Amino acid sequence: MEMIVNTVRILEHDQAKEHMFGDDKSLKENVALALINPENLKGLKLTSNSNIKISSQFGSVILKIIEDENVPIGIINIPVSIWANQLTGVENDQLIYKNLKVKVEPSNDPVLDFEDLILKIKPN
Amino acid sequence: MDRVTCTGCSLLCDDIIIRTDGLYIDEIIGACLKGKERFDQITAKNRIINPFIRKNGELEKVSWDEAFEKVLTIMKTSSKPLLYGFSNSSCEAQLKGIRLAKKIDGFIDSNSTICQGKTLNISRDSGMTLTTISEIINNVDTLILWGLNAAESIPRLLNKTLFTRGKFRMTGREIKTLIIVDPVKSSSFGVMGPRDLALFIEPNRDLELIKILKDECCTADSIPSGGGAGLDESDIRRMLQHLQGAENAVIFVGQGILTTQGNENALKELLELIELVNIQQKKGRISLVMVGGHYNMAGFDHVALTETGKNQNLQFKNNQIIKSNDTIISKIKNEDFDYTIIVGTDPISHLPHQLSSKLASKPIILIDNRKSGISQLADVVLPTAITGIECAGLAYRLDQVPIELKKLVNPPNNVPSDEELLDQIIERLSKK
Repeated sequence: MEMIVNTVRILEHDQAKEHMFGDDKSLKENVALALINPENLKGLKLTSNSNIKISSQFGSVILKIIEDENVPIGIINIPVSIWANQLTGVENDQLIYKNLKVKVEPSNDPVLDFEDLILKIKPN
Repeated sequence: MDRVTCTGCSLLCDDIIIRTDGLYIDEIIGACLKGKERFDQITAKNRIINPFIRKNGELEKVSWDEAFEKVLTIMKTSSKPLLYGFSNSSCEAQLKGIRLAKKIDGFIDSNSTICQGKTLNISRDSGMTLTTISEIINNVDTLILWGLNAAESIPRLLNKTLFTRGKFRMTGREIKTLIIVDPVKSSSFGVMGPRDLALFIEPNRDLELIKILKDECCTADSIPSGGGAGLDESDIRRMLQHLQGAENAVIFVGQGILTTQGNENALKELLELIELVNIQQKKGRISLVMVGGHYNMAGFDHVALTETGKNQNLQFKNNQIIKSNDTIISKIKNEDFDYTIIVGTDPISHLPHQLSSKLASKPIILIDNRKSGISQLADVVLPTAITGIECAGLAYRLDQVPIELKKLVNPPNNVPSDEELLDQIIERLSKK
């Protein structure tokens, strides 16, 4: 399914807050999320807490779905984070982190840990 | 009990009450979640209170002398430094950062360059009608959030501006109209009342809406009967009526419009729309507030402009500022640097993976008070005090008003402020 991704700041799902008060587990649980309209969830034949693979022209990421009726149909909101940044990119020297065209599909793969993504940035 | 200013976000609320004995802060009253977190940072588990150097892949606690020695070694063996961040630092620290960049022939920029710095740049040609929080509280009757989820990014903005009674108005929220232009029903919509206007614009169609409004200002009845930008004709007309009929209106510009496709055109057209309505206005005017998140994002533009004549993308060569078309993004993308000095920010959380990888491929010197994604990649980590809590300084509020920040308690381990630390690096460089 083709959809639009927006990276957004959400107080409850904040990477900096998790670094301060949480741990790697809570960071992943509270931030590696895709907020999606229930109608789209039905279209994907998935339920909340399932995993999806989202792919943009810049990369892909596995995230846990959270149902949110405030998100418009066709849109996915992802908290600003290292996970969201697997999908964002640069075009004409401008950061592209809103209104990203993406392909969405169900996935059985696990959501990567924060440490895994750090290793993707700089392998040992 | 002391009344202090909060540095949790760029609103810099000056009505926070704390109880402190000068050593600890025992109670915080009146702060929002972001503000409370800022105070909690003093003892947070990711607080950094010692210098670290990466050895065999791991960060190891070292003495200040050893950390400075490592910093100077990186500086002396490299020639293309990149300095980035500074929007969570005082103006004094920003000034030291610019002077350090000048000394080491570096390229320096703040987070503003990927946020409200864009609006500032566009306003160079057209000008911009600004306003202050005080004027909004006292005079404004129409508030527009354009691409801004204030409830999440600046949590007390609406408390202060929408729900307050102004000095020159007998009534408060009941005569104020809130208009939100956003494709997403964000939490800010929760405060809307019957007289307010929710405009669920389609993504990337801000420019189209602005142009329709401009056309209608010039030629009556030019709004297409089918509406535009995913909005009904009646909603667009109602919005224009509010803009033209307001005694005083303010548009809070958020990330939503900054990141829309063709954002430069959308911002330029928005500034022109404001001027157009203001020319036609008989009663009042429309003003604009650029809403950035970090507490002193506006400060860097002011400091850089005063010190160098440029507000962003500062490239130094032979200790002089030179003309450059580069941006922090192009510098990283093209790997046109050989080490970075990051101050008070976590690029890993807000830059795309491809840029983070390039940043991490060169030595990183991090100056910050907390561990984050970037500290896991840094080669040297230098801890500093939290400005506005553990050290004093100046910051520019989101309405461009300078605010003095006080020191409330001593920093742990007597860690220096960003300003003192940058000064020490400059001094040590001069001695070498």
